[in-house]
Amino acid sequence: MATDRVSSQQKSELLRGTLEMLILQTLTVQSLHGYAISQQIQRLSDGALIVEQGSLYPALERLQQNGWATSKWGESPTGRRARYYTITASGRRRLGQEIEGFDSALLAINRVLRRV
Amino acid sequence: MSLVHALRHRLRVLLNPRAHERELAEEMEFHLGLEAMQQEHAAHGALSVEEAHLTARRQFGNVTYYREETRRVTGIAWLDGVGQDVRFALRSFRRAPTFTAVAVIMLALGLGANTAIFSVVDALLLRPLPFKEPDRLLLLSLTPSPGERTGWSYPKYALLRDARPGVFSDVSLVSRTEHTIRVGDEAVRDWGESIDAHYFPTLGVRVALGRNLLGQEGRPGGPRVVILSDALWRRAFDADPSALGQSMLVDGSPYTIVGVAPPQFAGFSGAAAFWIPVHALPEAWASYDLGPYNHTFEAIGRLVPRASLAQARTAIGRVGTAVDAIYPSARTRDQRWSATADHLDDFRVTGRVRRTLVVLMGAVGLVLLIACANVANLFLVRAAGRRREIAVRLAIGAGRGRLVRQLVIESMLLALLGGVASLAVAWWTVNALASLESASVLQLQIASAIAGSAAVELNLAAFAFTFAAAVGTGLVFGLVPALQATRFSLTGALADERAVVMRGLRGLTSRNVLVVAEIGLAIVLLAGSGLMLRSLGRLLAVRPGFDARNVLTMQVNRAPEWSRDSIVRFYDLALEHLAAIPGVSSVALADCPPLNYGCAGRAPIQLHDRQSSTGSAPVFGIHWITPGWPSLLRVPLLKGRMLTDADDRSARKVVLVSASAARRLWPGEDPIGRRVMVPVDRFEGDTASVVGVIGDVLHGRLDSLPMPDLYVSYYQSPISFRMRLFLRTEGDPAAIIPVARQVLRDVAPGFPIHAVSTLESIVDESTASARFGAVALGTFAALALLLAAVGTYGVISYAVTQRRREIGVRVALGATRSDVVRLVVGQGLRLAAAGVAVGLVAAFMATRLLRSLLFGIAPTDPTTLIAIVTTLGFAVLAASWLPARRAAGVPAAEVLRAR
Repeated sequence: MATDRVSSQQKSELLRGTLEMLILQTLTVQSLHGYAISQQIQRLSDGALIVEQGSLYPALERLQQNGWATSKWGESPTGRRARYYTITASGRRRLGQEIEGFDSALLAINRVLRRV
Repeated sequence: MSLVHALRHRLRVLLNPRAHERELAEEMEFHLGLEAMQQEHAAHGALSVEEAHLTARRQFGNVTYYREETRRVTGIAWLDGVGQDVRFALRSFRRAPTFTAVAVIMLALGLGANTAIFSVVDALLLRPLPFKEPDRLLLLSLTPSPGERTGWSYPKYALLRDARPGVFSDVSLVSRTEHTIRVGDEAVRDWGESIDAHYFPTLGVRVALGRNLLGQEGRPGGPRVVILSDALWRRAFDADPSALGQSMLVDGSPYTIVGVAPPQFAGFSGAAAFWIPVHALPEAWASYDLGPYNHTFEAIGRLVPRASLAQARTAIGRVGTAVDAIYPSARTRDQRWSATADHLDDFRVTGRVRRTLVVLMGAVGLVLLIACANVANLFLVRAAGRRREIAVRLAIGAGRGRLVRQLVIESMLLALLGGVASLAVAWWTVNALASLESASVLQLQIASAIAGSAAVELNLAAFAFTFAAAVGTGLVFGLVPALQATRFSLTGALADERAVVMRGLRGLTSRNVLVVAEIGLAIVLLAGSGLMLRSLGRLLAVRPGFDARNVLTMQVNRAPEWSRDSIVRFYDLALEHLAAIPGVSSVALADCPPLNYGCAGRAPIQLHDRQSSTGSAPVFGIHWITPGWPSLLRVPLLKGRMLTDADDRSARKVVLVSASAARRLWPGEDPIGRRVMVPVDRFEGDTASVVGVIGDVLHGRLDSLPMPDLYVSYYQSPISFRMRLFLRTEGDPAAIIPVARQVLRDVAPGFPIHAVSTLESIVDESTASARFGAVALGTFAALALLLAAVGTYGVISYAVTQRRREIGVRVALGATRSDVVRLVVGQGLRLAAAGVAVGLVAAFMATRLLRSLLFGIAPTDPTTLIAIVTTLGFAVLAASWLPARRAAGVPAAEVLRAR
């Protein structure tokens, strides 16, 4: 939870790229609905990464606008209608690039911090 | 692939934004529901349902915010914003009807003038020629001397045709000729084209019905066949396909109809109603028309794909050399004829028309700029009035970009309204141009008469142009004030009135700059139009060398198969009957009317008693006249005697020369009795003596020097082509027309009478293009002056409102009414002075473009410049006088008390 008063504008700047990368990563295994994506990210990151669940939706919209993910309405296990997101081929390529970029950035930062 | 997915998604969202929002809401609802269940589950019943929902919402964040954020990502929000801005702008226009009306009217005038001129430019310069792949068509020319071009004579063309260089896939010739054809029971004169079998293939036009000419139909003695234009086919045969194979009378001979051209096709000349083979010309004409010195044929060539103009020029140059070898120039020994090729497109209009159009296009562009400056000024004034509104909106968090967008949308919308209104202005202007016979004015001058079919009209291209111009205009006059208006510091505008005054003054400075620019632009236009008007004045003052008042001229065509003697008898009879008409004082014949732009023949003249070893034999205009012609036109006899009836075929050959000719040939000597060799018709191989010198007559154009001219008697050498009848009348010559027509019909029943006009109207026509240029430019300049005056008025009047308090103080401290008036008018005049300074510098540069359009006046003519500066000074004076009077009436006590 964000207790510090970072403006939502800054927050989204900070998280935009990373969040999209994480979403795409969760979709590589199977199609998921929004809530499941947020749970997945929360679970895998021990709750450290998702600041507000709502920020997922603008990110999902952006992924669709770019053609990296598509969505389809389907039935959830509880029987209610839910929108399921699927990663596209270009989304996978994008994810690869993102991870590569992230790795090299992380490596560079770690070098500066003299950890490697 | 990503593109497909992306496009599909975006399209879905854009086409149904409401569904998208609904789905998003449902999705978030679903999310919150699951989260609440999860919270409830995790708390093992420690949370109530409401509490679980609240926790879920906390986890989720601001639902509305994220919905908005998602909307922003889709771009729908932006579109919605634009829609809002448009509605807001329309509301604000309704609230300020005067502002809106003034702005729209100014834009409509500026844009309308541009659209109208654009449609002329489009018709005459831009629209592709109506032939297949017109950029591969070249006009081939003979060049008697460098820089001079002429068409081809038939034998010279034959050399070209037989050589047919490989860079051309086809070459053809064409000559526009006027013929008498019989449509139904009526004999009419109509334009046709004499062509050969290559003509249609060269232009890339397929005969729509029937067939093209066959090869042998282009040879002498071949069958007489004719191809009709679609229009003539419809008119004369009701579009009946069985017209093929029937015959039509052309100049009295039957021609078999073999084909019909496609609709709209009016030939190379843009005026042809039918096409006949070159060799089908009547025998009597052929000896001259198809001889080596009748250079009235144009040759066109179609380049093979990927061949260059340079290659074509090299190839055609070799043909030129061959022409010179076989038909050496009679004029000089060392001057050689050559040949060249140019893109056909370059010959659509004369250089003069092209330059006039460029100047007019520039002029309307300047008018539009002035209109833009005015509207920008209005916007600045309005933005100043809306300072508080804008400041408040900035204060409560509107982004600057958002405000700029809204202001630009307002200006764009205004520009589009102006654009729509401008179509009315353009429509009216185009009609006015058409009725000003500008189309004929412009087409009259088209070299080789191409593109006569180019109709000036408001078409899709013109609409597209208006739209683009309107959008551009909206950006220009909207963006600057918008950026300026949103540059306030918040506190200043909201907190302190004094700060507002300071800012108001800064705003005033940029308004001043706009007015100075407007005045400067107006000066440029005024200078241009002033020069054109003065040049027109000079042109109208030119004495053409004859008295055009009370002279009627007309042409009647005799049957081509007549012998020379019967032609002479026919014209004698016609003259005799015409002279008998009451009110006709004298009659005469000549082969051409004066001021004809080169209808008259030319030939090199050699002196009998002098070997012209030095330089060239001068080229003279040769004119066939009856003896009475000079006195009928009141051309003065300067020396010797006139021609008389006694100078007939049995007498020895005599000629008259013009004053310039006499000066040229025998400077300082007496020309009377000198003998010359005139290589035309019956004079060929003989010598003729000069019996008289008459005054110079402008046979070509009003704005060129008189040619040296030589007059031969029609009775000594009755040439086979058409003669023109001249009648001097006692009263209005136009009144004689019906009687004269009737008389000619009686003498020559069934012969078409045409080209009936008064000599005065011929003189008028010769200044038509100059008048068109001067009137059009003058109108635009007047518009510019008006707009600049309105602009000045607006700024001064606004300044007076702003300085009301200051003026009140001045009056309270003892300033008189005239002091106040001087203060205000002084401001206007200072603006004018700055504008004039800027404008004169610009005008000096701009009017150079006019140099070639001006006659008898320099682009820097001081009288014109002084006159226009004075005009502008008065306009500005008047524009600042009205607000000045208002300022002088400011009641000091009231103004001071109000604060």
